[in-house]
Amino acid sequence: MNERIGRVYFGVLGIITLIFGITNLIVTLGGNDFSWGILEISSDMFRGGWGGLIVISAGLFYLSSLKNFSEIHQFSRALMASILIWILAGTDIFVRITESIPGGEEGPWINSLEGFLSTYAPPYQPVIFLLPFSLIILFFVSKIKKD
Amino acid sequence: MILTADERWNLIEKISNKVVTFGKFKHTLKDALGELTVKPLTGIPIAIAVLYGFWSVFCSFAGTLFTDGFFVKLFDEHFLPWIQSVFPGEGGWFYYIFVGDPAADNCFEAFGVLTSGLFVAIGVVLPAIFIFYLMMALLEDVGYMPRLAVLIDTIFHKIGLHGYAIVPSILALGCNVPAVTATRILETKKQRFIMMTLLAIFIPCGAQLGIMQEVIPESVGIVLLYLIFGYFLFGFILNKITPGKSPEILIDVPPYQKPLWNNIARKLRMRLAGFLKVAVPFVLFGCAIVNILYLTGTIDWLARALTPLLTGWFGVPGETVGPLIAAFLRKDLAVAQLGAIEMSKYQMITSVVLVSIYFPCVATFVMLLKEGWKNLLGSLAVLAAVIFLYGGLINLIWTLLGVQ
Repeated sequence: MNERIGRVYFGVLGIITLIFGITNLIVTLGGNDFSWGILEISSDMFRGGWGGLIVISAGLFYLSSLKNFSEIHQFSRALMASILIWILAGTDIFVRITESIPGGEEGPWINSLEGFLSTYAPPYQPVIFLLPFSLIILFFVSKIKKD
Repeated sequence: MILTADERWNLIEKISNKVVTFGKFKHTLKDALGELTVKPLTGIPIAIAVLYGFWSVFCSFAGTLFTDGFFVKLFDEHFLPWIQSVFPGEGGWFYYIFVGDPAADNCFEAFGVLTSGLFVAIGVVLPAIFIFYLMMALLEDVGYMPRLAVLIDTIFHKIGLHGYAIVPSILALGCNVPAVTATRILETKKQRFIMMTLLAIFIPCGAQLGIMQEVIPESVGIVLLYLIFGYFLFGFILNKITPGKSPEILIDVPPYQKPLWNNIARKLRMRLAGFLKVAVPFVLFGCAIVNILYLTGTIDWLARALTPLLTGWFGVPGETVGPLIAAFLRKDLAVAQLGAIEMSKYQMITSVVLVSIYFPCVATFVMLLKEGWKNLLGSLAVLAAVIFLYGGLINLIWTLLGVQ
């Protein structure tokens, strides 16, 4: 039962991740940032280009883990895909934290509460949206540890 | 008592039956993850992600949070005006050496020992070195570094090294001084010579990276690309022309494990103490020497004498001679000086690459000397050829692209 749920879930997540990654690369090649509601895709070479390549890799890792999902080597691919997303999302959040603390050139030493909170407002990069869905892998890790 | 061969084998069997448990080896999740990180198809994207995280955290912690967030404000708005007003003898040579330009409104341009020197050492380099060594220690403790060594082994064999060359190479991105010592993990003289030469020429230290991020944030990628290309190009050539052997290695890859914070804290403390003892005095000393050379007119004379070479062959302004001299003392200081010279974006990229591949800083020079004067002379000969050829090549590329 768990294997079937895992395959369906990470299959869908893998496809979405792959689409996000390819979109990232296309936006980077286009040279203009893309915004849609609270989603923003950066066109700079570092976040868009390299970041896009990593997101594509994560998508491919998810998809390649589907066959015989509960086998440890196959499952580790899904876990690694989630780790890649955690690295990208983690650094993105870390960048926001470092931007939110200082008060800026003209402002006070430490940012005001309003300024601090506004740093965390949308739009967000695609990996931030993928982050909560990638955490589901921890449930499967705990199941494996129990078994 | 003397045992026959049969009796010995019988004894071995008895002992092994008592102490060895036989069974089927079952792979754990850690083992499977470990395998993924060493296979090229899966390991390379993972390595790219790790380096992405490394660089992103490095820039935002050192650059955005500490240097731009607090230290620029502290030094430019408070410390600089204060020291300019209280330091005696404005206009005199003593003032010029220690405070620098009295009209400067930021520490990058003042260029005194107590202004630019302190700002570079404490405001820019210290946060950069701190976060670099923290992440490096974390990757070592988790067990990722040996896997990176295995992954990159094939590429390093092309330049006469092996996977463990990644350790001095990455350490050099923090500071070249411990990296020179770390070349001892390579087996043969040939490998050590190639490694020391390459890291002294092509690997910018954390301090220099931090300053580059401040002075030319939009061009750091291009500079690094030139340096990486040069690293492998000249590594390949050195491997062909250097006599000696480049043997294979067997690496014992430990399992992934949770990092021990005590271990990390100890490593960080040790490396930071080494940096503060070796590098900071050289930054301050470097500022003083360069200011004295400016005051005595030596730099102007050298700039005039070397202008045909600098502008004709390398395509950079004659004023870059000052930073090139400063680069011998501290490369970070030299990059900071370049920031104050008026030139085009492409001239700036060439100048920063030249400063990087130009003579190793004096601290690294001393370490190279400690490893043997023959190695040092060999490295310097290679260095002279590299700076002339590679500097000229970069200028040629810009000229062909029509941007110079």
